[in-house]
Amino acid sequence: MDPSSSSIQEPFDLIRLSLSERVYIKLRGDREVTGVLHAYDGHMNLILSDVEETILIVDPDSATEAPVPVNVAKRKMDMLFVRGDGVILVSPPSRA
Amino acid sequence: MASPPLPDDRSPVPPPPPSFTGSPTEFLKNVVGKYVIVRLSSGVDYRGVLSCLDGYMNIAMEQTEEYVNGSVTNQYGDAFIRGNNVLYISAAEPL
Amino acid sequence: MLIFSVFKTLTDQQVTVELKNDLSITGTLKSVDQFLNIRLDNIKVSDEARHPHMIAVKNCFIRGSVVRYVQLPADHVDTQLLEDATRRGDNSTKAIVLTLTIKNRNAETLKFHYG
Repeated sequence: MDPSSSSIQEPFDLIRLSLSERVYIKLRGDREVTGVLHAYDGHMNLILSDVEETILIVDPDSATEAPVPVNVAKRKMDMLFVRGDGVILVSPPSRA
Repeated sequence: MASPPLPDDRSPVPPPPPSFTGSPTEFLKNVVGKYVIVRLSSGVDYRGVLSCLDGYMNIAMEQTEEYVNGSVTNQYGDAFIRGNNVLYISAAEPL
Repeated sequence: MLIFSVFKTLTDQQVTVELKNDLSITGTLKSVDQFLNIRLDNIKVSDEARHPHMIAVKNCFIRGSVVRYVQLPADHVDTQLLEDATRRGDNSTKAIVLTLTIKNRNAETLKFHYG
């Protein structure tokens, strides 16, 4: 087993190892945020700082084709609570 | 209910390998560390090595590629997927 | 429980709650409960032109489940303490609230004690 994964016994270990690191989060509603992770709980409620949110505006008519985002809206926030039920995926910074 | 007689006694269906009882729990145990496809209810697929999972079906994966409509849209060294989004986990290599 | 504690320490602070229906409400956090239901006072809706029915509303109760984000006042969040409490898997609300509240409310007192 490669050393980076040796300390991971349960999925939440991955998140724990990302505390104080910048993480990428994919949310419901075609939203993505990146930010520095400071807290989380078992619901995947998160508290992040230095946050950038990206809202992908996809063309609903091309839903059958590969949905290419026609536009993106970005905004920054200092400190943000993200409710866990909207979280799809969390990716820590790549530990090479 | 009695099972219907085999059409040919000399070529019965081979029994499954002993490690594979067919129970979902057994499947999940065996699939850890394997290359898998995780499909979310949104239709998005994640292909990668399944690091581990928990009772909510929260999933940790490695070397993950995200597929939307058959094309790669993202790659992650590590990924945590919140269990409520998972439709199924499919083994992409023999168990 | 930890996040509940964080919100408790932020009572009387200004926050912006963004709902899943895209409504954004800024107001003073009056109270929060274990479901992260939120009571806001002196509220202002971000895009009033788009939500004219909200103009006259001065305070509100927000069901936790309809919240997407809450923008917090960064200078009232002790990130180091949060990370430590998260690593510990801290469930002791009292300890966190006490520590955070002391940091927030009695910053002057602490300065007095520790120079």
